[in-house]
Amino acid sequence: MGGWMGKILDVNLTSGEITIKPLDMEMAQQYLGGRGLGARLLWDEVGPDVDPLSERNVLIFTTGPLTGTGYQTSNRFSVSTKSPLTGTVLDANSGGYWGMQFKRTGFDGLIVRGKSPSPVYLEITPAGVHIKDASGLWGKRVRETTSLLGQNNNRRNVLCIGPAGENLSRIAAIMNDGERSLARGGPGAVMGSKNLKAIVVEGKDRPEVLDQELFKFMLYETRKLLKASPLTSQALPEFGTVVMMNIVNAVGALPTRNFRQAQFEHAEDISGETLKEKYLVKNTACWACPIGCTRVSKTDKVEGEGPEYETTWAFGAQCGINDLAAIIEANTLCNDLGMDTISAGSTIACAMELSELGLLDSDLRFGRADLLAPTLEAMAYRRDVGAELADGSLRLATKVGRPDLSMSVKGLEMPAYDPRGMQGQGLLYATSNRGACHMRGNMLGLEVLGLPKLIDRFQVQGKSSYVILHQNAAAAIDSLVICKFTNMGVAEEYFARALSAITGIKYATGDLIRVGERVWNLERLYNLREGFTRADDTLPPRLLQEAIPDGPSKGWVNHLEPMLKEYYRARGWDENGVPLRTKLEELGLSEWMEVAA
Amino acid sequence: MIDERIYEQFCEIGRDLYTAGMISSHGGNISIRVGDRVIIKRRGAQLGRLKPHDLIETGLFKNDSGVALASTELLAHRTIYMRTPALAIVHCHPRAAIAFSLSRDEIVPIDNEASYLLKKVPVITEEFASGTPEMANKLADALTAYKIVMLRGHGSFAIGQTLDEAFHWSTTLEESCQIALWAKLINEPFIEYRGMSQGYTRW
Repeated sequence: MGGWMGKILDVNLTSGEITIKPLDMEMAQQYLGGRGLGARLLWDEVGPDVDPLSERNVLIFTTGPLTGTGYQTSNRFSVSTKSPLTGTVLDANSGGYWGMQFKRTGFDGLIVRGKSPSPVYLEITPAGVHIKDASGLWGKRVRETTSLLGQNNNRRNVLCIGPAGENLSRIAAIMNDGERSLARGGPGAVMGSKNLKAIVVEGKDRPEVLDQELFKFMLYETRKLLKASPLTSQALPEFGTVVMMNIVNAVGALPTRNFRQAQFEHAEDISGETLKEKYLVKNTACWACPIGCTRVSKTDKVEGEGPEYETTWAFGAQCGINDLAAIIEANTLCNDLGMDTISAGSTIACAMELSELGLLDSDLRFGRADLLAPTLEAMAYRRDVGAELADGSLRLATKVGRPDLSMSVKGLEMPAYDPRGMQGQGLLYATSNRGACHMRGNMLGLEVLGLPKLIDRFQVQGKSSYVILHQNAAAAIDSLVICKFTNMGVAEEYFARALSAITGIKYATGDLIRVGERVWNLERLYNLREGFTRADDTLPPRLLQEAIPDGPSKGWVNHLEPMLKEYYRARGWDENGVPLRTKLEELGLSEWMEVAA
Repeated sequence: MIDERIYEQFCEIGRDLYTAGMISSHGGNISIRVGDRVIIKRRGAQLGRLKPHDLIETGLFKNDSGVALASTELLAHRTIYMRTPALAIVHCHPRAAIAFSLSRDEIVPIDNEASYLLKKVPVITEEFASGTPEMANKLADALTAYKIVMLRGHGSFAIGQTLDEAFHWSTTLEESCQIALWAKLINEPFIEYRGMSQGYTRW
């Protein structure tokens, strides 16, 4: 068997039962792994009657057929669950080493169900699978927990939650290898609700590659392309993802002060260039990654990985803060507490606006860098005003009667691109199955970076086609699982051929994209089953009604409605966004026709 | 109503195809996918001199009155859109590439640019090389795995996310074939300069 290990590990924390099941190979070929396989398994496991924070929810950790093979960036893995933040289907994926190491334990997936009566951690090693007491670890932060459990990048890898997950913050992340995160949508809270503190993996089995000759050629060609692309060979390695700050600001699409503006007058202060000049210690990379966008930064107070672009924006422009040291410290703290930095930053920004309007009793104001760290602490421990912020911006803003001031879609805070200055990005956010997400399709590439070619970011007609293609491609890449930055230098045709070489099953480029389309439609069905409707495919009113006040995108709102209509038709869905029978039959999803009906 | 920006894209690529010698005065056709619609060149219009009324919009899955005006290759374009991830198609008649297609089943570039971008271009044969379902199906099959293919003796079909991208593959192929022709004229032993070049034939 090439690529897959052929086994799923199933752990019931209520009963302590541990079982090993064969991987359904037909399912694996249709959904590959990662996000796709996770969504397919979740469909059977967690129905609409299940509260995300109840013991009936499950956590499904999956790798993909590329994970651990040594193909460029094949370090990633995924977690799937029902989101406690949004109530939607959720997957989040992460890099580092843990995914590769988990694959080496001989499993393609791990399903964690039930709830332990007391804190535990799970250890998966060649000596067996064991549920161990974690009462001594409960309450500890991520770095300490990771260290205590013996993190060793190439041999033993730790995944855990911090205080935010223990305290069931709905924006809590699961952290792996110390500072990498499965961040979005609150998977850390699901782990906390199960009294599961950590999962430690040590493996020895390597996935098989069936066509070594073709695989070597694909490694060679992929490396060549990644070297040739200035983005993957120069910009990301030199400045990290924060290289986007000046680029996005220059086109007038950098959300500022809770999306009241689209350019930040202090963008240069929080740019990748400034980060490199003042705070960079060194570059690092995930396993098997030749890009190396990760950086270690240091201030007078902290040293740690990051910050990423989205994080720098969330604690920076979004909060009107230009103190990069404070942003780095907030990032390090947030990672140690185990919280999603995008949602945390954007929730603080929302609280700043609410406070300025007199709707929230707090000292938070735009620009108050000194309040970032204490607010994050308060959120993770649900103390003081933090208790109001711990479950994200939508719950906070709704509580004070202004849900419109939560810059979120389906309850998930929007990332660092203003949909008014990038029309397609708005459609991407509005239709994203896990809520507003920039990783569900690379419209940044098309609308700003010119990858593969630049398109007009203000054009409305035809945008649906781009969004759909990139959503499908992203779902496929998330199912392989590899890093999307690879896709900034290398097209899907390479991934399809690498997959063919590894598995011995011929996947053309179109076949791979079709897998992504199947995953996307299954996720859509999941959300429909949960009660989501067309009305949830929208953007905050501010982005639809308030024009950008100045800069290169001045005067623009997002023209979502015509794009959405075109999108539904092009997806093969009806006018309410429900997949048509013909589309479900085409994708092999017809057995769930009654959900669409 | 077709967005003015889309009309401009068609004009630019159409003009460039003609001036680059990739089509005759009335040859070739280009299209884009817009949701469940297709915008394609009008039948008989000159790509190098497109007017707003030369862009025809019609359904991707369903016929409407637009089909009466659309390019004769509409069926091929539709089939490709339905079966591949393509969002744009450029069909043209690159002369050197057509010449090579007459004698081989695949074109494996020897120059650096095309080796890098295309690796290999399959050549497919169809007796009625225009407007038939057989041709459309063969093209779509090949384009699920390749971004440009040659129809023997007829021309190239390239797909992309934009017209610009599909045009890029088209000119890259033609440039590569012209280089190969010059190399044949020079008629000296080929010195391999590429690593793992044996892999291209397996692409």
